[in-house]
Amino acid sequence: MTEKIKHFPGEKLSQKQIDEGEVTTVKHSPNVKYAWSCGEAMSRFLNEMKKGKLIGRKCNKCGRILFPPRMFCEECFRPTNEWVYLKDTGKIMTFSKSYLDTNAKRIKEPILVGVIAIEGASENMGFMHYFGEMDPDEIKIGMRVKAVWKDEKEREGAVTDIKYFRPLKEGE
Amino acid sequence: MAMLEKTTDVRALRHWEGDMEADYIYTTGIAGDKFFKEIKENAKITGTKCKKCEIVYVPPRMYCERCFENLEQWVDVSDKGIVHTYTICNMDLDGSKMDKPVIMAVIKLDGMHGGIIHKLGEVNPENVKIGMRVQAIFKNKKERVGSILDIKYFKPVK
Repeated sequence: MTEKIKHFPGEKLSQKQIDEGEVTTVKHSPNVKYAWSCGEAMSRFLNEMKKGKLIGRKCNKCGRILFPPRMFCEECFRPTNEWVYLKDTGKIMTFSKSYLDTNAKRIKEPILVGVIAIEGASENMGFMHYFGEMDPDEIKIGMRVKAVWKDEKEREGAVTDIKYFRPLKEGE
Repeated sequence: MAMLEKTTDVRALRHWEGDMEADYIYTTGIAGDKFFKEIKENAKITGTKCKKCEIVYVPPRMYCERCFENLEQWVDVSDKGIVHTYTICNMDLDGSKMDKPVIMAVIKLDGMHGGIIHKLGEVNPENVKIGMRVQAIFKNKKERVGSILDIKYFKPVK
């Protein structure tokens, strides 16, 4: 509502009125299937994930290691040069505690998500993932974490082949 | 150079498949509700009239699109009219060839302004003419659900 408009015309409908056909409606379920090609860099990245490895791509001009890998350096405007394996450890750059699940339902135990700076990749290369095996209160920016992988048999070449990132234990 | 070291094995390339849920229910509104219920219950086509512009809107609107006046006068429109323009469809929604063509037409009912889009039936494509008089054929009352498809098609009349 605005200052001028105090009341919109029309009437509020209940779910019942719609379900029972008290008011006329148009229902439709569009077919929205799609296939998205991952391209060269992302395909290799996903294939390496299946093997339990993280891979980046290096640009020999600026020396940066791009992660997730890209075939083109967006700063030098030139193709990147070589594949570089990275560790599966990193630092939390930013995080969020979500009290809503993926269906926007309220939950008691928050889902921890955030961006991880993978060790060995250049600055500002973020990798978004879940966090686990930690108390929601203990999570903080700069915390060192390590990937927890699914069993080799369960891995399918997807980002979710890493279950979550857990805190790095002392001495690791 | 990296650009030339392209993957030549297509099996090494990957893709993601998705299926987005985009179901929706859209209510027909105050004017639309009355329009569809009139079709369902009485097999009648109704519209709203703007007294100022002397225009009859079918399907009915709540407001005049020309002068923004509130439209409160409801009028029954004839179920007969003329073919304003038409097209013969030989392909279905997927682009496959159909055995029998479907004739889609803009029909200007007697008493309305503009036209409504519907199918023509009981006529061969070669006999359809612009200006031809047609009449709405409704489904049986039991089969009517309150949709524009409660009209099966329009057939030619003399």
